[in-house]
Amino acid sequence: MIKTPHNLKEYKKDLKRALGNSFLSATLDSFASAYPASRANAFAGIDFDALASEIARAKDESISKIEELLEEFTARAQEAGAVVHLARTAFEANSIIAAIAEENGVKRIVKGKSMTAEETFLNDFLERAGYEVTETDLGEWIIQLRGEGPSHMVMPAIHLSRREVAELFNKVTGESLDPDDITGMVKLARRELRRKFVEADMGISGANFAIAESGTIGLVTNEGNGRLVTTLPRVHVALVGVDKLVPDLKSALRILTALPRNATGQLISTYVTWITGPTECKSSPDSRKRMHIVFLDNGRLALAKDPVLSSALRCIRCGACANVCPIYKLVGGHNYGHVYIGAIGLILTYFYHGRRNARTIVKNCLNCQACKSVCPAAIDLPHLIKEVHRTVLKVEGKRPPKNVLLKNVLQNRRLFHFLLRRASFAQKPFSEGEYLRHLPFLFSEEHNFRRLPAIARVPLRDMWERINPRVKNPRFRVAFFGGCLVDFVYPEQGRALLKICADHDVQVDYPMDQTCCGLPAQMTGEKETARDIAVQNITAMDPAEYDYILTMCASCGSHLKENYVKLLSAEPALAVKASQLKDKVIDFSSFMIKVLKISPGDFFAGAGCKAAYHSPCHLCRGQRVTKEPRELLSAAGLEYVATKDEDVCCGFGGSFSIDFPEISAELLKRKLDRVEAAGVEMLVTDCPGCVLQLRGGMEKRGGRIKVKHIAEIVAERMRNDDDKKNQG
Amino acid sequence: MGQPENVAKFIERARSVQTTVTVVSGLAAAFDYAVDLTLKQGGKNIAAPAIRGENLVLLESICQKNNLMLLTRNLREQIGMIGTGLTMADWGIAQTGTLVVNCESEDLRIATMLSETHIAMLPKYRIEADTAALEVELAAMMKTAPCYLAFISGASRTADIERVMTIGVHGPQELHVLILEEDGL
Repeated sequence: MIKTPHNLKEYKKDLKRALGNSFLSATLDSFASAYPASRANAFAGIDFDALASEIARAKDESISKIEELLEEFTARAQEAGAVVHLARTAFEANSIIAAIAEENGVKRIVKGKSMTAEETFLNDFLERAGYEVTETDLGEWIIQLRGEGPSHMVMPAIHLSRREVAELFNKVTGESLDPDDITGMVKLARRELRRKFVEADMGISGANFAIAESGTIGLVTNEGNGRLVTTLPRVHVALVGVDKLVPDLKSALRILTALPRNATGQLISTYVTWITGPTECKSSPDSRKRMHIVFLDNGRLALAKDPVLSSALRCIRCGACANVCPIYKLVGGHNYGHVYIGAIGLILTYFYHGRRNARTIVKNCLNCQACKSVCPAAIDLPHLIKEVHRTVLKVEGKRPPKNVLLKNVLQNRRLFHFLLRRASFAQKPFSEGEYLRHLPFLFSEEHNFRRLPAIARVPLRDMWERINPRVKNPRFRVAFFGGCLVDFVYPEQGRALLKICADHDVQVDYPMDQTCCGLPAQMTGEKETARDIAVQNITAMDPAEYDYILTMCASCGSHLKENYVKLLSAEPALAVKASQLKDKVIDFSSFMIKVLKISPGDFFAGAGCKAAYHSPCHLCRGQRVTKEPRELLSAAGLEYVATKDEDVCCGFGGSFSIDFPEISAELLKRKLDRVEAAGVEMLVTDCPGCVLQLRGGMEKRGGRIKVKHIAEIVAERMRNDDDKKNQG
Repeated sequence: MGQPENVAKFIERARSVQTTVTVVSGLAAAFDYAVDLTLKQGGKNIAAPAIRGENLVLLESICQKNNLMLLTRNLREQIGMIGTGLTMADWGIAQTGTLVVNCESEDLRIATMLSETHIAMLPKYRIEADTAALEVELAAMMKTAPCYLAFISGASRTADIERVMTIGVHGPQELHVLILEEDGL
């Protein structure tokens, strides 16, 4: 029986246990390392983004006419001799299937892998009704014998070691097995399950596709059990979510291009089976199979009508959102979903398995966008996770104190900035240079994995007029969006920018009414607050007045570009401004390389130090900027050393690191271990949030590697006009 | 993509998923291959439910000469005892090294799934570039009920224990494709 914690305290206990499981950590880490390369190979020669948008478009169209497709499918399948049912709920689906079993005098049932059957807890239901049910996918059989749910949608037993499987098989069959003889274990399963196939009266499968134009179901499998389940027993029941309906074969083949490639890095899975109507079956009295197709609604038809959340129904169940999730990699699927696993699991749990099962796990998202970048149906998974989080808060009607605080403080810029200035003053006795000596009282010992920076004595905005030179004939007029961290914690990063801009005839303005970008509110599900803040910033910085709106914070930049448009989409006048803003927002590295066209000649000669680069989530995925920072590092004369997992989240995630310090600390540790192993002297990144995390972590472990924002190192190494004159 | 490129691509892709691919002149050579392989593997029989007419006569005589039993129907009774399944594929898909087999007949399904070794014969001219090139034909077949259409790419496999790829979990342990230069004898 699956138990998903309903409160944070219980959940944290589970997370702690998972983080201490060294097998899980090693196996998921090795999988996460192997997956990107095999996926990239499989997609060689295919434009993934174009394919994903095409799948998204086609799925959206199917979802919008799901009831028509169901009608068409039903007519075609019934003509072919199948019986089609529609179950409104999981209970109804299970009851229909049990009734089919009873009608046909069934005793033994074999099952192919089906997430939809996991969703309805079909096995439990049928076993309670007295049927013998055997899962025949090897991974599903293993977890069935252990009484567990799957820990991955495609690899359900990935959390288990060969030793655990050998012990399990020994317990079940009495045979002693060598844990290192995986082939031997597979052979045992083949033998045991072959018997079950032959004896079974009924086979239950899922379906990856239900093709309306021909009433055909399509199954994608590797082991071949799907073909046996649909061939040997005299009754076949396919349990299919209505979201699997597609109009035609073309649509199914399009999805098939993406599914195995994205799931397991295969060009195609070993078997793809297309079945229309009851086929020949010699164990049936009339040599014809009894075929039933049970469509499951269970909330899908209602979900299909939601303008935003309906995109969750595009999911093709490839499991890739788990494969690339840095949190899944640490804690495994049993702690990252309920029945459905991974980013999509955090979303679907709410709809299919209820608020109580979703309310805690839905908080466990870094918003690192790794899932979104690999989704073959272009689902904006982090955004939907926040939408579900918001819905949970709304339904429960009570806001956590952090949310109340964020709402009240962030909405009022004067109050927010007043509090930050007071904090700068109040921290004096507790600070030690640029760091706090002790953690503030809100934090506990588990937050002590990094040193926290002190708030700057003078924020950037208060020194702006003094330090910002007027440029006579500016080439560009730029608004600088500082973001809270550059403004109040790292003003030196802003000063670095000004030095560079002054030397390149760029006039930079700092619109004083700008405030926090609003991402922290969005991250905690406070969409209305995030919307109000967006309006404040758009009012403060009219995009029409500037050539660019520059930000040195990857998270602010990504939020301004992507989320403002969504937050203001229902308000036409503001939506236009949000779109204009989107066009003008630019990150520091792109501004240097693409706009100012900085080249090696702009820097002092001589070899710089060896530097590793951390690619911030909201820059490399949020804004798709990957080449420019590395180009800029090389231009500045640094010896860039590539390190493994440069684009995996550092674990900061804004307030995530406060809610889930244990996960944040582990991600940080792995990141810093890799950087230290690379033998570099400096770690450079493009986001003050990442600087906070990485520098604080490096300081805490007493490491010698300097952590810098890329603007700082660029400003240090850049020659100004006088330098150029002197040096020729 | 022209025909020779399709064939070359099919061979490359099929081999990359552990399919053994051999080009043979025609059916007679394919039958010899099937008999030799069965004998080498210690198999006792060949299940060939879809071979008819003079082809069947020839296969029967080769099997007889080599003391192999030829199974042509009621294969359900032979489950667990079938050495080689010998079948004819309808098409090959070069892009993924895939066989397309229309197997509404239960015997044909059993021969392709429950034999220890599956040998599929594929006429060279039936190899197409990708599924898009076959979309019209496939959709038409699916609309002609009952239909059980299989795409087969390699031998049955699993990676469910520690992600170690292991061949032969449920279906055949080996897949051999014989590309026929000519589809006659």
